[in-house]
Amino acid sequence: MAQKRIKKELNDFGRDPPANCSAGPVGDDLFHWQATIMGPTDSPYYRGVFFLTINFPTDYPFKPPKVAFTTRIYHPNINSNGSICLDILRGQWSPALTISKVLLSICSLLTDPNPDDPLVPEIARMYKTDRDKYYKVAKEWTEKYAQ
Amino acid sequence: MRSLVLTGLSFMLTASVIGNAYYQKKQFYPSVVYITKSNPSMAVMYVQALVFVVLMGKMLRALFFGQLRAAEMEHLIERSWYAVTETCLAFTVFRDDFSPRFVALFTLLLFLKCFHWLAEDRIDYMERSPAISWKFHFRALSLMFVLGLLDILFVRHAFYSTMSKGPSVQLVFGFEYEILLTVVVMTFIKYLLHAIDLQSQNPWDNKAVYLLYSELAMGFIRVILYVAFVFIMIKVHTFPLFAIRPMYLTVRAFQKAAQDVILSRRAIRNMNTLYPDATPEELSSGDNVCIICREEMTSGCKKLPCGHIFHTSCLRSWFQRQQTCPTCRLEVLRMPRPQQQQQQQQQQPQQQQAAQPQQAPNQNGQAGVEQMQNPFQNMPGMFGGMPFQWNGAGAAVPPPPPYMWQPPPQQQQQPQQQTPGAAGQAPTPASSSSSSPTSAAATPTTSQQANTQTGGTASAASTSMPSTQMPPFPGFPPFLPGMMPPVFSYAGFPSPPPSMAGLSDEELRVMEGVERSNIEARIQWLRDIQALLDGAMVLINQYNSVASQINSRHDGTSAPQVVPISTSPSSPHQQQQQASSSTTQVNWWPAGSGARPKYSSTISSTHVTNSSKERSGSLSSPSEKHESSDNVEKEETKGATGSSPKEAEIPKWSDPREEEHTDEMHEVRKRRLQHFSQHHLDSNSSNLDSSNSDKNNSESEEKH
Repeated sequence: MAQKRIKKELNDFGRDPPANCSAGPVGDDLFHWQATIMGPTDSPYYRGVFFLTINFPTDYPFKPPKVAFTTRIYHPNINSNGSICLDILRGQWSPALTISKVLLSICSLLTDPNPDDPLVPEIARMYKTDRDKYYKVAKEWTEKYAQ
Repeated sequence: MRSLVLTGLSFMLTASVIGNAYYQKKQFYPSVVYITKSNPSMAVMYVQALVFVVLMGKMLRALFFGQLRAAEMEHLIERSWYAVTETCLAFTVFRDDFSPRFVALFTLLLFLKCFHWLAEDRIDYMERSPAISWKFHFRALSLMFVLGLLDILFVRHAFYSTMSKGPSVQLVFGFEYEILLTVVVMTFIKYLLHAIDLQSQNPWDNKAVYLLYSELAMGFIRVILYVAFVFIMIKVHTFPLFAIRPMYLTVRAFQKAAQDVILSRRAIRNMNTLYPDATPEELSSGDNVCIICREEMTSGCKKLPCGHIFHTSCLRSWFQRQQTCPTCRLEVLRMPRPQQQQQQQQQQPQQQQAAQPQQAPNQNGQAGVEQMQNPFQNMPGMFGGMPFQWNGAGAAVPPPPPYMWQPPPQQQQQPQQQTPGAAGQAPTPASSSSSSPTSAAATPTTSQQANTQTGGTASAASTSMPSTQMPPFPGFPPFLPGMMPPVFSYAGFPSPPPSMAGLSDEELRVMEGVERSNIEARIQWLRDIQALLDGAMVLINQYNSVASQINSRHDGTSAPQVVPISTSPSSPHQQQQQASSSTTQVNWWPAGSGARPKYSSTISSTHVTNSSKERSGSLSSPSEKHESSDNVEKEETKGATGSSPKEAEIPKWSDPREEEHTDEMHEVRKRRLQHFSQHHLDSNSSNLDSSNSDKNNSESEEKH
């Protein structure tokens, strides 16, 4: 079941890839993918290329895939291990979601961080109080790690 | 690379230590003694032993697992960390036993634990790896066999050593190996399930169910083991701090497993029984790809209440994890909730609006009757609370659903709102039958009082009603005379039930029940309610009599002890009241009977006959039968507004059901009434007298 569905998703992804995203399996292991996200234009992550790993659970699509950044990124909802605080990757997962939708959600999270549910409180605080500084640091990190 | 260097270093150190010893002592035994006496040499030897263990682990890993995957490695390291810290905590408890042998045993335990985790991970991987080779099966089986065997051996050893030498650190080992044994068993079950699943091409729907149940069972065993362990440890040593984390995790896992099983069972049963199969038209129209598996739907599909269609097997698998609609996140188990709330909210204002215009135009005539009915409409707790209590007492008969608080007119007008079937209709007998005997009981007593009344005047009657002591019913105009005294307050009745909205449709249906026993019990309850109401009416009359007594005393007229003045035969208002009371009742009945389910006909007919008999006896001016129409609200409004014209058409109740009247029932009811009246006369009259007379006195003084 999981394998069939992942294959279908891979086909769909190849046929109609979402903007600024790409993804595909690593080697011949269908359950382990690598994805890239181009930083959205209206964000400090613009011109950055961010790599992510995607691990599908055995009971996909009934459990969410494990998605994590491998590229370092300065973001209130993404910590230094690359873990992403996104509801659809946890309790709000639904089998109706696909990897391309998840990647799009991550893209929009890059554009609009959610400082009210932060994974890194310091960055969230900076985002709330000193937006310019946050923008500057995020841009620096993007230049440093993601180019 | 670094580990290679470290290993080499360790080997060199060991070689030099041994060489040094042998060089100094020249012989085997003296060299061994030399090494064991020298602390630095022993340290080197321990490090070497550790290196050997690691090497051995690597060898075994290569033998049983081949190359580890990154996720497995990560998992292993993470778990090892916790295990090491917990082992250190365990050392603190057993610091008296601290010895190299003890450390070695703990190391061995850790070592075996690592293999258990790896085995678990590897078996989980089975499900997702594209092809499983024979080598994999062989490795997995042999590994599980070896691990299981070792666990059993260690448990045995721990058991016998504890039995022979008393409790020691072996207790911890025995327990730990037991837990590991459950891990092996669980892994083996998973392996079997996966292996069976792999044999067939089609996905095996029931696999998740078996997994769920085996997890539940294993979780239960583990919880028991942990509890027993903690209990024994507290008795023998001290609180096992190192066991808290795994114990907490185990309990939580078990709780989650149990919850999963319950919720998923419920959702799947709902799916199988409630949700309709998708029709071919629905499947052919529009997008027919199942959003869960992304395959086309041709057959075996179910439609959720929200209208989304999925494969039954996909839906079942999803419901085993969560009970929501995959597309719109509708909570399937809480589905009925919003509808019910909406219904109740809709009807609350309607009911009050309906009640108010009825009362306003005929404050004097209709008021008493309205009060007879309204308290019951406004007191859902009375009917809702009692069945609940009764349910709590362990009776098998369920309480009626929350629909029952709908007033009958609304039921007639909005039948489509109710779910068809027993659940929706059960309320009708409850509410209608309970309201009817009330007024029926009221009517005879009033007339009785009217007959015996001697010195009551109209003014006395109006002042006798403590209109200032109104019960706090919402939507009641405060100026109504003949108000219900607070005797009829909530005090005697159980509190309203907790919200039933949390219950699923199905639970309600189960509670509803359609068996004979349920219906019998329900009837019994209705009888009891009736008796209660009758008793309450007796109380009211007592109260009234007391009040009137005081008033008449105040007025200067001497009234006998028992004289009630609540109604006077000479007063036209009172006659109107009676008349309209019966009119409303008559109108109520056909309304109720329309929506009444079949099985309740016995109860309602009994009530009807009882009440109608009494009414016909009590009514002084019966006239031709009132034609009851289906539009109840209209009738009620007529009955409510029509004061003097109504008098002419006071109905003589001649329902065909009257023939079904059973004397037995009547007797029962009569006896209850007597019982109540006697009891209350005996015990309460003095109380009432003393407590209420002061109040009434002051009030009537204010009035005059």
